[in-house]
Amino acid sequence: MARVRLENITKRYGDETAVDDISLEVEDGEFVTFVGPSGCGKSTTMETVAGLTEPTEGRVYIGDDDVTGLAPKDRGVAMVFQNIALFPHMDVYENISFGLRLRKYDDEEVRRRVEEAADIVQLEGMLDRMPAEMSGGQQQRVGIARAIVRNPDVFLMDEPLANLDAKLRVHMRTELQRLHRELDATVIYVTHDQAEAMTMSNRIAVLNDGKLQQIAPPLVCYNEPTNLFVAGFIGSPSMNFVEGTLVEGGLETNNFTIGLDPGRLSGVSIGDDVTLGVRPEDVHLTQYADSLAAPTDPIDARTDVLEPMGDEVFVYLLLSEAAEGSMDQDPATSPNQLLMSVTPDTEIEANEDVDVVLDRSKIHLFDTATGDALLHGLTDRSEREPGTTPTEADS
Amino acid sequence: MTTHDTTETTESAVDPSEEGIDWQTKLRYFLNSDFVRSSPYWGIPFIIMGIAVYGGIGYNLAISFTDYAGIARPSFSSLDLEMYRRALADESFRAAAFQNFVLLVGFTSISLGLGLFLAVLLDYGIRYKETIQTIYLLPMALSFVVTAQLWLWMYSPGNGVLNIFVTALGFDSIDWLGDPRIALAAVIFALVWQFSGYAMVVFLAGLQSLPDDQFEAAKVDGASTTKTYVRIIVPQLKQASVGAAVVLMLFALKAFDFLYAITGNYRPPNGTDILATLMVREAFQYGQWAYGAAIATMLLLLSLAVIAPYLIFQHRQGSL
Repeated sequence: MARVRLENITKRYGDETAVDDISLEVEDGEFVTFVGPSGCGKSTTMETVAGLTEPTEGRVYIGDDDVTGLAPKDRGVAMVFQNIALFPHMDVYENISFGLRLRKYDDEEVRRRVEEAADIVQLEGMLDRMPAEMSGGQQQRVGIARAIVRNPDVFLMDEPLANLDAKLRVHMRTELQRLHRELDATVIYVTHDQAEAMTMSNRIAVLNDGKLQQIAPPLVCYNEPTNLFVAGFIGSPSMNFVEGTLVEGGLETNNFTIGLDPGRLSGVSIGDDVTLGVRPEDVHLTQYADSLAAPTDPIDARTDVLEPMGDEVFVYLLLSEAAEGSMDQDPATSPNQLLMSVTPDTEIEANEDVDVVLDRSKIHLFDTATGDALLHGLTDRSEREPGTTPTEADS
Repeated sequence: MTTHDTTETTESAVDPSEEGIDWQTKLRYFLNSDFVRSSPYWGIPFIIMGIAVYGGIGYNLAISFTDYAGIARPSFSSLDLEMYRRALADESFRAAAFQNFVLLVGFTSISLGLGLFLAVLLDYGIRYKETIQTIYLLPMALSFVVTAQLWLWMYSPGNGVLNIFVTALGFDSIDWLGDPRIALAAVIFALVWQFSGYAMVVFLAGLQSLPDDQFEAAKVDGASTTKTYVRIIVPQLKQASVGAAVVLMLFALKAFDFLYAITGNYRPPNGTDILATLMVREAFQYGQWAYGAAIATMLLLLSLAVIAPYLIFQHRQGSL
């Protein structure tokens, strides 16, 4: 096992910059997920680690060695692919052992290692099957066994679960976590699915437009996103954003005002545009908000659409009459809508006038112009300035 | 209504759907059935195909059992296998069959090999792929007679371009098509020139349908480019290879027009006679209709033998 270090990795295709100056370090035995929307450069970044893509600038280190110019086979990496990429004309045994046989290991050694790998991913008794005779989940296990068998320093997984159905994906998620623990392996995992990233990783690296936005443990990304992009990308459903203006004594938006001391925000001054972010679970009906230590003043709203999910209900709130007729707008970005999550036993109906409050300790403020986070939590007690928590992006 | 009365008395004994309805009703049902109503659509091609193809094959087979020759009318009074016996005993038939076999194996395997090689080169990423693809396919667009004429000129013993090179290098000029030892090889070379582009396009389509992941997986596993193609990629082109091979082999069996043009009409070709040219010569030059028909029948059986493995392969794949 080994750590992986990327130093100022940039990859350009003609005029297109796919990866823009990414530096990060993955510790020995760590599970790090690259997450971001499609086209954000996460796969390209991984390919520079695998050696399938040569970076235009920057260096890749595995362990203490600079591997930037080395062929994939000389890097001690193994990869699991989105399309699984089993060789259809070979049976499972031949697929798993292909890399070993190329390296001319003796037959007994090959058989021992293949059986061991098959054992780890629970493929016993299936070694003589052809890939076409197996289910998607079994095929992906073969893909993983093919990686394990080579005993690599680093596992690279490029959306390995993307082609599996939803139920199997959740199951394989836990399998991969178990595998990570068993092998004590360094894993770099690429996905566009933030739920996968949240559940499996030691740390998440959020990418957008080829740039590293934040690299931090999942809950830090969730609770203290460094900017608007991370705040909107991590968490499902997405965080509510309400644009406002900083005034004397608070933040004024179209429909409500939040009291705060503008002096606590560095980098912005009175009159600047500031975006308020609050997650759906931190919006509460006033009558259920007694337990909140620091609620905001009540905000008038009308319920629009209810989405019962079983364990919770999503309530779309309209903050003003103007919001009606703009139903097609994403509530996360519409200034006059809020998404609220309530428990299923809450008495609430569509088209009902309600009062809601926001949990001040869970309010995030962002500089609208730059997107950078200004403050996480408006209460004095739990107030946390961004930058005071150690994140990889800052160091 | 008397018929109705009689049927009624026997109704209990027989199936009512068969016997209980009079023949006019049955006829009306029959005329209204999908089978009859759709007949103008399938009937016309069915009849044309039946007469032109299967009728022709049948008549050819019938003639091959007679002694039909010259300008007399064929007599179907005594049918036997004499013509087939004659063919198998005929030295020129055996030579033609052997040369046909050499042409079939040589032409097919060289075209496939060259086509695969070109396809792999293209797939590996030579730029201007579109142009190159067109260049290799262009020979296919030419008529065989044109190709044959071109090669006839190039192979010309006096002033052909090949002999200009040969003599410039200090060798004696070679009679490419006149020398029985090399004539067949020269013909195969010309045919490969025309058909390797076809094989290449078939293989290229197969190669391009393989996902990039396969290449990347092999690369991460440590396979060199050569090993990747030999062990991973080419084995997956089985389907494409079989399809291309069948087309090429069938062409090799009946490459009549090319040889007819390149060796000059009915002149007995020197070392390049194949079953198709022999058949045409026997029939249309010597008037040996029955003998020609027997050769044609054997050629048909050989063609079917070539297709049969392909059909079985397709059937096993579940696409037939």
